[in-house]
Amino acid sequence: MNRPTVHRIARTLAALGLALGLTGCASLIGEKQVGPGPDPSSPGAAPSAAPASASAGPAALPYDVRPLLKPAHKYLGVSADGAPTSMDSITAFAQQVGKQPNLIESYSGWGDNFDAKGAKNAWDAGAVSYIAWEPFTVSLADIAAGKSDDYIRGYAAAIRNLDVPVALSFAHEMNGGWYAWGTKHATPDQFVAAYRHVHDVFAQLGAGNVIWVWSPNSINPMPNVQLQPYYPGDTYVDWVGIVAYYTHLEAGTFQQLYIPTLTEVRQFTDKPFLISETASEPGARKPADIANLAAGVIAHPDCLGFIWFDYNKEVDWKVDSDPQALAAFKRAVSDGRYGFDVRNP
Amino acid sequence: MTSSTEHLDEFPVHQEDGPLRRPDSGGSWFTAKRQAAPGGHDHAVDSPTMRLDMSSARRTGGGAPPVQPGRDTADDPVADEPRRGDDGPGYTLAPIPEASWAIDPGRRRTWVSRLLLLAILLLQTALSVRLSNTAFQDEALYMYAGHMELDHFLHGLALPKDYNTYFSGSPVLYPIAAAVIENHFGMLGVRLFSLLCMLGATSLLYAFSRRMFNERVALGAAALFAVTQSTVVLGFFATYDAPAVLLLALAAWIVIRTDRAPAALVLFAAPVAVLAVGLKYASALYLPTLAVLALLTGHRNKIRQPLLRGALLAAGMAVLLWLGLRFTNVLSGVQATTTNRAHGNEKTMDLVRQCVEYGGLMFATACAGMVAYAVRGRMNESPLVRNATGPGPRRRWLLGLLLVGTALLAPAYQIHLHTSVALYKHLGFGLLFAAPMAGIGLSRLVGSHFRHPQLGILLWVITLSLGLSQSVWRFETWPNSTQMIAVLKQHVNSHGRYLASADNVPVYYLRAQTRQDQWTSTYGIGYVDRAGKLHSGDDGYRAAIADGWFDLIVLDGVATPDEDKVVVQAISQSPHYRLLGRVPFHTTGGTGYYRIWVKQ
Repeated sequence: MNRPTVHRIARTLAALGLALGLTGCASLIGEKQVGPGPDPSSPGAAPSAAPASASAGPAALPYDVRPLLKPAHKYLGVSADGAPTSMDSITAFAQQVGKQPNLIESYSGWGDNFDAKGAKNAWDAGAVSYIAWEPFTVSLADIAAGKSDDYIRGYAAAIRNLDVPVALSFAHEMNGGWYAWGTKHATPDQFVAAYRHVHDVFAQLGAGNVIWVWSPNSINPMPNVQLQPYYPGDTYVDWVGIVAYYTHLEAGTFQQLYIPTLTEVRQFTDKPFLISETASEPGARKPADIANLAAGVIAHPDCLGFIWFDYNKEVDWKVDSDPQALAAFKRAVSDGRYGFDVRNP
Repeated sequence: MTSSTEHLDEFPVHQEDGPLRRPDSGGSWFTAKRQAAPGGHDHAVDSPTMRLDMSSARRTGGGAPPVQPGRDTADDPVADEPRRGDDGPGYTLAPIPEASWAIDPGRRRTWVSRLLLLAILLLQTALSVRLSNTAFQDEALYMYAGHMELDHFLHGLALPKDYNTYFSGSPVLYPIAAAVIENHFGMLGVRLFSLLCMLGATSLLYAFSRRMFNERVALGAAALFAVTQSTVVLGFFATYDAPAVLLLALAAWIVIRTDRAPAALVLFAAPVAVLAVGLKYASALYLPTLAVLALLTGHRNKIRQPLLRGALLAAGMAVLLWLGLRFTNVLSGVQATTTNRAHGNEKTMDLVRQCVEYGGLMFATACAGMVAYAVRGRMNESPLVRNATGPGPRRRWLLGLLLVGTALLAPAYQIHLHTSVALYKHLGFGLLFAAPMAGIGLSRLVGSHFRHPQLGILLWVITLSLGLSQSVWRFETWPNSTQMIAVLKQHVNSHGRYLASADNVPVYYLRAQTRQDQWTSTYGIGYVDRAGKLHSGDDGYRAAIADGWFDLIVLDGVATPDEDKVVVQAISQSPHYRLLGRVPFHTTGGTGYYRIWVKQ
């Protein structure tokens, strides 16, 4: 074989090699997963099953809720019909009592979407949206086992993307037997596991703008149910909520309604507490109950405030059930220590 | 069967002298060639090793009057009366002007080559400056350290850390230069300084490749080197790699430029090479190559001069290195980052795969060039130098093996260490030396008279495509920290304590608010608890977080993913922290997040 033939063969081989190289380099050009990246199994990684909205966060900086956790002033909260999706009832309430509420409670059933519009309405009105998240349709054990994770992720991503503070009370009044997640249907361990799991999923999604509320009912109706087994731990809780109403069935003083529960709570946590749901039955006692509530909140530095259940449901809990009650409420919250703009605490 | 045109593939029509004059009768290009002169070879030469012999050729056949190589029938069996036969074109080719055969690089060829080099440099610039990301942690570290060193020298301020102990280059050389540049032009200025260094390295590569071989080889070498991932990335990367590459290129250029000069002149390369080592200790890997290069490029017809060159350069570099180690305290840093670097656990095949991806094509071209050069050393097509003698086969093999083998030094060491850290950069150091051989490979692939330009274009386009995609990919392997820094800026102050993965980035960007000693990285910790007990490693992070030692923690999940898991687990068990939020970023690994916790 002479030399030119060798050259020709060599060049042909080189051309073939380059063509193969060109084909092969397509995979190199398109390579996307060579370097290190977030570990999908790590708590901070986005789950692959997350909804599209949860795959990438908002461009805004994460909201730091810490100034709202222990503010210098008291929260004046209210739960009113249609609020905060519609702010009509809040506007009316503010006009009645002479002060703008800064905590607006609403209820969200398991399976409901996060009411971003309502939370935004509340924020725009200078209030934090407080959501009582009620797992009516799924067991706590299933939640803890991750069977509702897709739903939780979507909810968490929606809260995170809104990027305004939201208070979330998961499975409130767990120490009572009247709810599907209560003592008749779930153990304390199941509650704690479910609560922690929900919290962790939110953490995975980066929803740092949630104020976590652990909210048992007053222990008075269930003195034998210990609270500590239900407590998820300080890592998981920002506020302790206490649910108790002024009724004609029991003595109506702050000391009798809340302090026994608070005393028990203080055995395992120093987290600030909130009267997370309260009101007073109509009657002659109502103005005094209101005054007692407001004074009790003021008297306890570790008490953040209260949320008034302003509904006519079963009984008329509204502040304007009678003029004396409304006047008492108006007088009580006129104290300068009540209310503040949550956007500038 | 051998085509008649195959005999003519080194037909001596010089590519720089315009198109071949075609006869009026419109004969084919190859047919015309066939008639002209089949005896020529290769292109004009600028090889120093051949120049003396060419001068004798010039005396006998060169110079005026015009040479008509087509009529050089001394050993041309087909001259004058080519194999025209009955089906010949029936025309005669006009005499070919002497310019077509010029041996020396004329002004026109020089300027054309320089213009092509300028085009390569412009392309290299475009490839580098299009890269965009915030500071990589190494960039941040060097610039911040430079500011600290500068303050130390100018104002006597104490250094926050002893950078000598963990820097892979002297903290008083590049970092200070970078800090000075940054003071005037910002980080962009420091990156543009790197670009100038890499452009200089490409230019010097062209210069010494041209001197060793010829313009075409030099242009091929520069064109390939300029578009590789390492060159493109280092050209916009504020680390001491770019100036180190420049200095190594300069040292190589001095070695080759002084090839026929008195041996002592090669010593000019010694301080340059040792300065490259001072900038980046790993540059020492290439000092033996420079010494052997001095030997192999010495005067070919003498024995003493090449030996003396090699010995003088080796001795000069050794003395300067000894002085550097003797009168500075960089030894611990050299050991920690270079000579006794901790072994990783990456698989050999993974490292080999990366080497192939990042530099395999250019290396293969260099290997082909090495073989082609060893088989046929002549770099010129002119028949005037047909009898010129270049380096013998043994020297050609040695030179090729030296240059190509140098490209294997860094990969071999990193495979030995089982680590891919900075592998892509170190490959670039080696490819600088292999580039001349790659230039020969490219030149021989194209063939004489650009007979197979498509092959050369194909090779270069593939190299360019890889360089384009890999450099963009490389610049996206670390998170863009803009948003994270904006968040942290709201939560840091001059007395807080902070834990961060890749802490050099916030240290650099938040230097107006914090000091380096306020930050702890996820690379290691030594935490002393209230009882005076020292906790280190994972236990150190757990203890510090359990005690609420840090005021803010930020993890990226990229720099130290395993340690991040330990920290996250510790946070989940500590009541002191709450999640502030996460800040998304996009890297080549996909979407990631900075997770930020603040103290309750």
